Amino acid sequence: MTLARPMAARVTLRLAALMALAVTLLSLGAMALQYRLVEARLMAAQRAALAADLAGFGALYDQRRIIALRQAIEYRATAATGEEMLVLLDRQGAALAGTRVAWPAGVVTEGEGFAVEPAGIILDGGSRWLAVARDLPGGFPLLVARSLRPVDETLAAMRRGMLGLFAALLLAGGGVGWLAARSVMRRIGRLNDLADRVAEGALDARLPGARSGDEFGLLETHVHAMLDRIQNLNRATHRLSDTIAHELRTPLNRMLQKLSRIEGQEEVTAGLKAEMRQAIRMFDSLLDISRAEADAGTGGGLVPVDLSAVVAEVWDLYEPLAEDKGLATGARVAPGLRVLGDRNLIAQLLSNLLDNAVKYCAAGDRLELDLSTAGDRHVLRVADSGPGLPEEMRAEAFDRFTRAERDRGTPGHGLGLALVRAIAARHGARLVLPEGPGFTLEIHWPRLQQSD
Amino acid sequence: MQDRILIVEDDPETAAAVRAEVEGLGCAADHRDTLEGGIAAAVSQPYRVIVLDRMLPGGDGVEAMARIRAGGSSALILILSALGRAANRVEGLEKGADDYLPKPFEPEELRARLRALLRRGTMQVLDNDLLAFGELEIRLKARTVHVRRAHVAVSPKEFELLTYFARNAGQVVTRMQLLENVWNLHFDPGTNVVDVHVGRLRRKLEEAGSQAIQTARGEGYVFAPKVGG
Repeated sequence: MTLARPMAARVTLRLAALMALAVTLLSLGAMALQYRLVEARLMAAQRAALAADLAGFGALYDQRRIIALRQAIEYRATAATGEEMLVLLDRQGAALAGTRVAWPAGVVTEGEGFAVEPAGIILDGGSRWLAVARDLPGGFPLLVARSLRPVDETLAAMRRGMLGLFAALLLAGGGVGWLAARSVMRRIGRLNDLADRVAEGALDARLPGARSGDEFGLLETHVHAMLDRIQNLNRATHRLSDTIAHELRTPLNRMLQKLSRIEGQEEVTAGLKAEMRQAIRMFDSLLDISRAEADAGTGGGLVPVDLSAVVAEVWDLYEPLAEDKGLATGARVAPGLRVLGDRNLIAQLLSNLLDNAVKYCAAGDRLELDLSTAGDRHVLRVADSGPGLPEEMRAEAFDRFTRAERDRGTPGHGLGLALVRAIAARHGARLVLPEGPGFTLEIHWPRLQQSD
Repeated sequence: MQDRILIVEDDPETAAAVRAEVEGLGCAADHRDTLEGGIAAAVSQPYRVIVLDRMLPGGDGVEAMARIRAGGSSALILILSALGRAANRVEGLEKGADDYLPKPFEPEELRARLRALLRRGTMQVLDNDLLAFGELEIRLKARTVHVRRAHVAVSPKEFELLTYFARNAGQVVTRMQLLENVWNLHFDPGTNVVDVHVGRLRRKLEEAGSQAIQTARGEGYVFAPKVGG
């Protein structure tokens, strides 16, 4: 119950994230392809413009060498748009003409023609340039470059757009995924809730409303059919135990009546009667255990009970017995603690525990009872300093007919602790068996909410 | 006039055993072995006590109690049933049974219960505060016990025990009756926890000079104080 909800939410989230991611990645792939294409086109355009410039300069150079080139560059420099970088140096490295005076640092000339290749990308003035640096015959370095700023700006705008789109897609994908996953998870959640309720014992729990025609509807129909079957089996078990109770008690009853008519052998008949009482008690315990187990978690038949009062009453019933046996007794019962329960079953549970303690402890042992509240539970603790449970028996001490080898001589049939467990389970109480000398058992009862 | 007791029971052996106890108490017994027959008999004439089985041909005796009452019967009803778990007993008592004895039962137990019911039918309401049995006096409001005018200190439970005994003075009271009526517990705890309590009360009374509580061998206890002794 406590696990189911966060788990459903986790699965929903995971599905939503997965869907968002898938959609986003696909769109991102498409956008990246487009980005590459645009980038290549723009670069090609810049290269073509550069090639045109170079071709123009090349034609002038062919006619009148450096003079013409210098004039052309000077002319261009006066009408510079900032999109181009032109530098022409003389043999000593002094500027002849250009959009700037200085040769940009780190740029090395390559070859001497006016071809666009090889071209390099240089960084200058905070932007990128597609640059062609040549050493013209006679030792005149020439630099012709075109700014890549328009390209970079376009690409940056594209990237910004893509980032925005990415975020929007992630959100939209997540949202759609969340909605889709939630609708699926809600239908699974309904089934999980049903399973939880059934596991807690409400065998008659069913999903309300009509079945849908899809796989979910089919699943619900199957689950319902399964539950019907379990419920019928459970009912049959109840009927069977009641029938056994009736059918076996009747012959036992006849035996008891006939036994009472025997005269003159009081000792034998008294012994037989005692044996029969034991058999009936064992039989009652078995019935009580199976009924308590079958009813566990249903909450049916449970009413608000003053746990403190019941515990105090049963303690008062047993304390003299313990004292007479020479046990040192002590009880601390916090008043007014209430649980949803069955008074007689609770009394029976405690009676079994105290009876065991008195039975197995020897004179001088301690027997203590403590009822207090810890968190959302009332804790009933019965502790004695007797022989305790043999280590190898701790695991199955609460199973039916489990008795320690050493206790063969003590009367009993090994049903006491099984009944304790069944009654605890009937009340949704948890058993805690701490280690230690003697026998200590804690029963953690769910608190009754003080709403009424 | 002889008291009449109706037995509604489908098992002949049990019916015979009940009849033997009823007649042993000096009452007349009528026997029916179906629920419908039982209801018809119950409303046809006044019975002091009806001993009613549960799983009868025709239905559950507990469910029939309302019909018996509606038919005008004022008989006290003792459910005698194989449905003997605490929950069954509490259910039966809550639905209006005056007593509930699970099967298998010992004849002594049935006898003690029938006596208690017959007595309840005749007992006047004790509106006076004092229950006096010779030298033993119980004051209900003050919750005090005196023997020969000397105060006997008893615990609250011992006081309840003593008043239950006093209300059934002169009759055998079984351990099971004490557990049910004084402790309101409807299961057999196995060990005779009740004996320790009765023993303590008995010692206190004896120390004060009253032999009021005696053991009825194999059956229970009898509260029989010597009146005027």
